[in-house]
This record gives sequence, structure tokens and C-alpha cells, in this order.
Amino acid sequence: MTTIALAGNPNCGKTSLFNGLTGARQRVGNWAGVTVERRSGQFQGPNGPVEVVDLPGTYSLAAQSEDERIATRFLAGPDVDLIVNVLDASNLERNLYLTAQLLELGRPMLLVLNMADDAARRGLHLEPQALAQFLGVPVVATVGNRGEGLQALRQAICSAAAGRAMARRPDYGPELEPAIAALEREIAQEPDLAAFGPTRWLALHLLEGTAEAATAVAQGSRAKTILARVRSLAGQQAVDGATLLSEHRFAFARELAERCLPQGQRDLTDPSARLDRVLTHRWLGIPIFVAVMVAVYSLTFAAGKAPQEWINAGFGLLQAWTRAHLPPGELASLLADGILPGVGAVFSFVPVIMLLMGCVAFLEDTGYMARAAFIMDRPMHLMGLHGKSFLPLVMGTGCNVPAVQATRTIDARSDRLITILVIPLMSCSARLQIYILIAGTFFPPLQAALAILAMHFLGFGLAMAVAKALRLTAFREAQATFLMELPPYRLPVLKGTLLHMWQRASSFVGRAGVTIMAGAALIWFLTNYPGNANRGWRDQLHRQQAAVRALGLAAEEEAQRLAVLADAHRSQVVNSSFAAGIGRKLQPVLAPILDPDGSRPEAWKDGLALSAGFVAKEIVVSTMAVVHHSPAEGLGETLRRQSGHTSLTALGFMVFTLIYTPCLGTIGMILKESGSFLWAGFSLAYGLGLAWGMAWLTVLGGRILGLG
Amino acid sequence: MSQQEPRPLSTLLPGEEALVYQVLAKGRIRQRLLEMGFIRGARLKVEKLAPLGDPMELVIKGYHLSLRREESQCILVSEETG
Repeated sequence: MTTIALAGNPNCGKTSLFNGLTGARQRVGNWAGVTVERRSGQFQGPNGPVEVVDLPGTYSLAAQSEDERIATRFLAGPDVDLIVNVLDASNLERNLYLTAQLLELGRPMLLVLNMADDAARRGLHLEPQALAQFLGVPVVATVGNRGEGLQALRQAICSAAAGRAMARRPDYGPELEPAIAALEREIAQEPDLAAFGPTRWLALHLLEGTAEAATAVAQGSRAKTILARVRSLAGQQAVDGATLLSEHRFAFARELAERCLPQGQRDLTDPSARLDRVLTHRWLGIPIFVAVMVAVYSLTFAAGKAPQEWINAGFGLLQAWTRAHLPPGELASLLADGILPGVGAVFSFVPVIMLLMGCVAFLEDTGYMARAAFIMDRPMHLMGLHGKSFLPLVMGTGCNVPAVQATRTIDARSDRLITILVIPLMSCSARLQIYILIAGTFFPPLQAALAILAMHFLGFGLAMAVAKALRLTAFREAQATFLMELPPYRLPVLKGTLLHMWQRASSFVGRAGVTIMAGAALIWFLTNYPGNANRGWRDQLHRQQAAVRALGLAAEEEAQRLAVLADAHRSQVVNSSFAAGIGRKLQPVLAPILDPDGSRPEAWKDGLALSAGFVAKEIVVSTMAVVHHSPAEGLGETLRRQSGHTSLTALGFMVFTLIYTPCLGTIGMILKESGSFLWAGFSLAYGLGLAWGMAWLTVLGGRILGLG
Repeated sequence: MSQQEPRPLSTLLPGEEALVYQVLAKGRIRQRLLEMGFIRGARLKVEKLAPLGDPMELVIKGYHLSLRREESQCILVSEETG
């Protein structure tokens, strides 16, 4: 089978070309060992299937970022038969810089002048044949997002893949070329270095001073000779190797661009600049940005609410059906209370994930995302974040799970990780239900509203503080630059956006889903055992229920009495469970917050409800009803009577709830997006520590002020 | 034909044009700036500043790019001669 690699700059329309070439038959996975997405697909050529691999978009192959390392390794590796270099035809010179580097690999190559319509609209007359002749490489013009030129491209790919590389390469001039040749001779004597790529390729990387090349050479026996030669060469030049090479490459790129555009760059109008006069305007820029945020937020969480409720209702019906049709016992309990809520939790995130990722893809493809980052970067950067961190943080107040996925737009890994790690501090809508219950029960109405509002501000403030702290400690070494292209505004292709939404949702269900289900099953076990296995209790419940049925009451009253008995049994099971035991053991740890006076014998039940809330914060309220043995409607009343909370411990409880741990869905997503158990574990651990500290300060401060 | 002293890119005002004189940054950032077109003699034009004063938008090699003050401080530019 023939394998081709699609390489090109970000924003060159590579993805829509990839979609056009392969159709919907795509495989989405990860590159080995990293969290960068690997997309591949196939199309049928005359001589059999052609495998297309979409490489991450890069400006260069200097192997400075994760994306570049992946692209470089794959392109220099043994799997590629043909490199298809996609170029934005309306921005040729900069795009051709990468071409200059790709040509150094000495592989069969094909150039694609994509978005040829854009170039024509900007008054550029492309001459692909002139470029092809000069370079010795086939050149095809396409309009990827409208599918124009795809057939010609497929044909060109098939014939080019069979050909040999006979292309012109950049010439580095009379000073550098002899030096490169000398270095090549040294490298050629070390056969192990062939794995890095052609000798010239490695020689150029050494001159450029890339760390990967130096490491590759350092392992060999001729390391000293080679590195000494590189150093002496560097000493001879007035400027460093990287500068010289990039200057020659740009000169080469300019020459190619001139061949392709013999009439010159007649840049008449730039419609994007006109739009930007409004969209990034000094006064209008921020209000427009706020309006876009509001629109994305409402679209995601208002429109996402209905399908989310249908999914929850559907799983509720399944649970009821399971309970009604399976013989009551441990199996029914496992299915109805352990597995189905877990699966339900996974699927209930799907609508918001699809909607938010659709919006994000739309903003990215139109080019507005870069403008949004441009507008918001100053305050975000001050706090150790990136302009692109703002949108995920705001979306986190709706739901943390899709917010973590929305960080994919952030390019630098350190910026992305910091953003991911502080998102759980943004108070999501599930936590709001807990605040409403607690604040509504223990505060007068106005104070309750203020307390709820305060939680959101506290969360945001802590997110900023933690981000800054992470930037100054764990991520101090990682220098992230802001060099960000502001690509021309373009209309996205609906098909591409829909495909993207589908891929995002399915990768969440597939990869984060397992974590969430396992966690849900674990919590089920901890909150239901050993009581669930106690036959004595179950038999007692059945005897009592049989006695009620024997009374021959009206159907309604009978059902009510049966439910009361079932609730009592459930309370008994949960309150004697392993989780309750843990809750009691943890009581001394949580006592300074939840029971500072030692006057709340029921304080451990808070800990139990919070542990159950690890699955999803929505569960905290329903668990409180179970552990306090209260009907759901009268829960506030029951809490006021039984729980012994003062308004101060209630506030401490709210602060703890805000921070203590990301829910399982978020943890699963963090695990998937960071690719690291370490960071997922860290987000859990620092959350618990910070929650304890902040809640303790709240209670302590309150007592000093004479409250509670 | 007067040529003024090279000065940091960050001191340019929106609408001003200049030529890249030298990239002072080191390491990764230097490499990235070079690849993005900040090579000696490249012409650039400052388009605007973000509404909050930072970052800066400029046009170089025919495309729009934004960079923070801490990066634009590391690039020396010279006025066009002529």
C-alpha cells in the first residue's frame, strides 16, 4: 500500500483537503506516546488503496514543539512514500518556507496550491506549471473546502508516488555548502545515524542547533568529531547557523513564489483587514467578544439542556425497568445503581460536548478564535495563561467536561495544561444545585444569593491564582511564545464542522467513558456494601412490604408506604456502607470545617454525600436525601432540623463543594487530554488540599468575626 | 538618506513600517521568530494594538501576525532608508 503524508502550515486548509480526499472513512487516534491527534484515512487509487496521514500543521520542521517533532519524525521515517505539501496560495512566501525544509528530505513530493479561489479573489494569478518546471515537482491547484481539483489531485498523487525524487533544493551559498558537505561526510561514516534521515538533513539540523539532532549524534562513536566540526563552523560565521539557514530558505521561498506569481503580488484589497477594523476595534472589540461568548454559552448550555434531559430521562426509565423486571438483589442493584448511572453520566455529556466543540470549530475555522485570543491575551497572560484560555474557562461555568476538551485550541502544551488544571475551579451548573439547597436552607434569601454569587467569584479568583502559581513553579522552564497568526476570515464548511463534532464526542465516549464507568462502579460499591449483601435486612424489607400489601390499601397509599420502606432500607445500607465508615474515619479531618464546635453528630454524612458526588456533583443532593432519610421535596427542612449545620459551617461546606475535586467526567477528560495519570491525580489532590484550606479559612475567619 | 539607530519593534506605533534589523531573542523563541519571517531586512508594518494595549498585530511576509510586548522588545528594527 502507498502511504502519503499531508504536511503544511496551520490554516492552509489541510484538514478540509484531507476530508475531501478520504471522505468519512477516517481513523482518529493519538501519535505514539503523546496526546497529539493522529488522523488517517484511505482512498482507492488505480494501483490499490492509498493511505493518507494528516500531519499536525506546522510552520517549520525545526522540531521545537511536540507537533513539529511528530511531523518531522514521521516524514523522515520509513513509512512515507510521498509527501504532499499543502500551501495556502494566497500566502505563498511564508508557506514555501516549510517547502524548502521538506525538499531537504529528498523524498518524492507534490505541491498543492490550496485555496486557489482566495488567491484569485485577491488578484493573484497563479502559474502552477512554471513552479512545477522550476522545482521538478508536480504542482496541483485546488479549492479544498469546495472539493475542486480533488480528482486531479488524486491522480497526481498516484503518479507522483510511483516516481522518484528529482527536485531542486535550496542552495545555502558558497560559504555554507562546503561546510554542509564536509559535515555530511562525517555523518555518512556513522551508519546508525541513517535513522535520523538523509545525511544532508541531519547536517542542516546540526547547524541549526536543534536539540534532537545533537542528541542523536551524541550517542554515536564519532560524536566528538562531528560536534567539534559544528562548533568550529559556528565560530567562523558572524551570525549563527539558524539565522543563516532561515535567511537562505526565505530567499529560496521568495524565488519560488515569484515563479508561481510572475505578475507579482497585486494585493488589492484585503477583506479580512476591513472586518478586523470592527472586530478587533479599540472600543468595539471587547463588547463584540463578550457577545460572542454569550452566544456560544447559550447555544451550548441552553440548547444542550433538552437533549441532556432526554438522555437522563431515558436512563431513568431504564433504571426503573431494571428494578421492576429483575429479581431484587445485588445484580439488580449493580445494574440499576452502579452501571446505568455511570453509562448515563457518560452519555449525558455528549450533547454539550458536541455543541461546544461545534462552536469552537466554527470560531477556529472562521478565524475569529485567533482574534478572541488577541483581545483577551493581556489579562490572561498576566495570570500565567494564554488568550485562548479564556473561552474554556468561561465554558467551565456551564460544565467542566467539554471545557477541558475546548482547550485543544491552545497550541503550547504548558498553556494548555495549566488551563486544563484550573478549569475544575470554575463553578459548574451541577454545583449550583448544591449551593441552592444549602444556601437556601441556612441563609435568608438575599444572603443566599450573595453567597452563591461569591462562590463563582471565589472559583474564578482561585483559578487565576493557581494558574499563576503553576506558571511560576512547575511550568517555569516552559517558555511559551505568543507568535500567533491572525488568519484571513473564511467561511467554514458545514460538513467539516459536523465531522469534527462527531469525532470529538466519540473519542470522549470511547476513551474517557471507561474511566467514568469504572469510577461510578467503585463509588456504587463503596456506598452500597456491605449492607447490600445483608440478606437479613433484605428479608426484613420483603416481610414488611408483604405485610403492607396484605393490608389491602388503596393503590396510591400502598405504593407510598412501600416506597417509605424501600427508602428506609436504602438509608440503612448507605449509612452502614464502607463509604460511611470512611466518612466517620475522616470526620476528624473534616471536623475543623464541618463541625468546629464538636456539636454536630451528623457531620460525617456531609462527607459521605460529597464522596458520592465524586461521580457527578448532581448526585450530592440526592445522596443527602438518602443519608438523612428524607423525602426529596422536604430535604431543606430535614437538614435544618437534623444536620446541625450553622450558617457558618454551611458556608464552609459550600466552599469545600466548590473546590474539592473535579467530578469523574472531568477527571476522565483530563486524563484523556493530558495523557497523564500524574496530572489527573494532581488535579484531584490539589483540589482536595485547597478545598480544605479555603473552607477552613472561611470557618476560622467567620469565627473570628463572631459569626456562626 | 538618514538612517536612524535601530530600535525595538515594541516602540513602533500603529501604521508605522520598518525593516527587521536583528532578532535579540535566544533559543526557541529566536528560532520561531526566524521561521515566521523575522529575518534581516524583512519589511513589516504595525497594524494595531489589542484593545487592552497588548499584544500587537503586524503584517510581515504578506500575512498577519500577533506578538506580545515581551517578544516585540527582542526584535530590533530600523527605519527604511531612502
